[in-house]
Amino acid sequence: MPDVHSLVNDFVNQLKKRKIEGSQATAKQAAELLRSVISQQRVPQTNQATALINAVRAVGEKLIAANPVELAVGNIVRRVLHIIREEDLSLATAAIAGLELSPGSDDEDDVERDDYPVLSAAAVAAAARSTLRPPSLQTLLEDTPISAANPHTSSSGGDSEGKSRSVDKSSRGRKLKHDVIEAVNELIQDISTCYEQIAEQAVEHIHQNEVILTLGSSKTVLEFLCAAKEKKRSFKVFVAEGAPRYQGHLLAKELASRGLQTTVITDSAVFAMISRVNMVIVGAHAVMANGGIIAPVGLNMVALAAERHAVPFVVLAGSHKLCPLYPHNPEVLLNELRSPSELLDFGEFSDCMDSASGGGSLHVVNPTFDYVPPKLVSLFITDTGGHNPSYMYRLIADYYSADDLVVKRRPATGS
Amino acid sequence: MEGEGSAMEKNPKISAYYQTRLAHFGVVSSEWLAQAQSATNPIPSSSTNTYPDNESNFSVIDEFNRWRNHPDLAEAVAAIRALAAVISSSKASTMMQLEIELKNASDSLKAWDTTSISLTAASDLFMRYVTRTSALEFEDFHSAKSRLIERADKFGEISYKARKIIAMLSQDFIFDGCTILVHGFSRVVFEVLKLAAHNKKRFRVFCTEGRPDRSGLRLSNELAKLDVPVKLVIDSAVAYTMDEVNMVLVGADGVVESGGIINMMGTYQIALVANSMNKPVYVAAESYKFARHYPLDQKDLAPALRPVDFGVPIPSKVEVECSARDYTPPQYLTLLFTDLGVLTPSVVSDELIQLYL
Repeated sequence: MPDVHSLVNDFVNQLKKRKIEGSQATAKQAAELLRSVISQQRVPQTNQATALINAVRAVGEKLIAANPVELAVGNIVRRVLHIIREEDLSLATAAIAGLELSPGSDDEDDVERDDYPVLSAAAVAAAARSTLRPPSLQTLLEDTPISAANPHTSSSGGDSEGKSRSVDKSSRGRKLKHDVIEAVNELIQDISTCYEQIAEQAVEHIHQNEVILTLGSSKTVLEFLCAAKEKKRSFKVFVAEGAPRYQGHLLAKELASRGLQTTVITDSAVFAMISRVNMVIVGAHAVMANGGIIAPVGLNMVALAAERHAVPFVVLAGSHKLCPLYPHNPEVLLNELRSPSELLDFGEFSDCMDSASGGGSLHVVNPTFDYVPPKLVSLFITDTGGHNPSYMYRLIADYYSADDLVVKRRPATGS
Repeated sequence: MEGEGSAMEKNPKISAYYQTRLAHFGVVSSEWLAQAQSATNPIPSSSTNTYPDNESNFSVIDEFNRWRNHPDLAEAVAAIRALAAVISSSKASTMMQLEIELKNASDSLKAWDTTSISLTAASDLFMRYVTRTSALEFEDFHSAKSRLIERADKFGEISYKARKIIAMLSQDFIFDGCTILVHGFSRVVFEVLKLAAHNKKRFRVFCTEGRPDRSGLRLSNELAKLDVPVKLVIDSAVAYTMDEVNMVLVGADGVVESGGIINMMGTYQIALVANSMNKPVYVAAESYKFARHYPLDQKDLAPALRPVDFGVPIPSKVEVECSARDYTPPQYLTLLFTDLGVLTPSVVSDELIQLYL
């Protein structure tokens, strides 16, 4: 499929050159790309799910390697893999239900206890369902081994295939693909509407005459504040400008134009102003599995100031920002150093810069992200509601299957 | 070994669990051990025969002790094997009868050593599996019985595999050039460090001495065999060395519902020091150690006593703190490495509620 190939390469190039940035934009594009990968993937008669998973995984690996810091891409790849597994499973259980009605068909090959075809089929379905669940104490003693991954999925793909042979196989193949694409469409829909769902909760959190502080610019925060304003709440907003990109200026302008009373402060004034603030509301780049966040640079400082004055530190994040990985050494591995031109004017400082040609000793480091540990975050507001940092793991268990975390990550770190 | 086992059995004042750990992992001079044993006056055991087992003279506790003597076998595995033996020797003809027999057996097991959390946790887990699992509902009594025995036999594998999974999961947390402080001897922790050394990670380990059974000496010995740079630290030097340490890694005797851990004496102290110096405290523990306890403070636990050797005779007026373990509250723990994945402490109660509610 030259068409998909060129699409993938385009996107990879954009990611590599940092032409496309921001978790929402990348997440949406990645989902759309994976959708076309799935729709163009020719599915064989057998093991359709495995074929789709392998195709998505192959593309996903490239995308993740293109910009490992843009965690939303990896999240979407894992979400899509999870969707395929889920859809395959629901079809398999439907097929079993169909078999129960027609006991004439011979499917003893994949069932151990032949005496009770109906009941054991239900048991097989239960076992298959448990493969999607993360391992838990409940399943510790049960038959399915907790060892993650490949032999398991392929075998479940295998027996679902065995069943489809007795049912109408061609229609099922189309059905799986159709269902998966449907579900991916829903995912894309969710990504683009997550603002609204988060903003809906604004009135519950922002009260009359409160003072809100935010840093930099985030579309989610903008929508959130405006939603509260629309519900006739009157409150003040302090916007820290968010050096060196000064996106706070844009946010302040936008807020003021919508009639919110807005004050711009420098990043260094955060501590001076925090005692007057009732709540800090910020966006995040990614939410890690332990409840820590990767956020625009400067936010750790804000979080520390908020903790010092017992001001709630609230993070708004759409579910596509939920990342199932743990931050290992986040300051180094999950950060990006941007061009020094954002900090200093090259013309003025060129003679003292430490470059290959000049003999100067001036270094410029311009990191993009901060890591805010979970104990500094008071509340997460996602499109599914408000959550404690320690509860993030449960959302992650809902959205991703355990197999994909390990399988995906190994090639990503290896390359 | 058998003689020693019966000696343990006869002294309820000393925690059998910690006595076993001492026998397996401790570094104690033999003359002291003999002295300690002669000092503890044997009291006839009352717990063994209070619960009537089967008509046959099969005793779940003997069975348990037989399994427990393997140094590589976790106590939880021994408990489940012993319960499986109850099933296979049972003459019950209905599931209900079998359940009652199992309940009696697990009660007598738990009563035999109330200080062992993993024994209690594993018995509860197995009982829960027997009474609740949906896979059993579809079958007749005999196949259900054989399936239970088969699962119990597999449990040994699960526990072995759990250590491997934990070791694999924790590799990402051990980075090149880091210094890890460990406390006492834990098989899981050793497995983690062994795999890290095997993966050619460059790291340094500080082992606490782990008084009074000095199991830290054993760990340092094992690590030195793997060519891991290791430094022994006396228990009181933890705060002194903490600034060089990047992370604390401990095992656990039990993980309680709050997400806190019960572990060898000194763990709480280390966690407090690490927390005040902003160092992460990681716990490596298999999920079958999750227990339904909710201790509110240190004294909430049944005391697990063991003899403490001070090297010199102690005047009889001087009291000695003999407790073998302490409770570390969840706020001092960063993450738990378990075979269910890397968890925050609050996940533990979630898992337990899902299983037992």
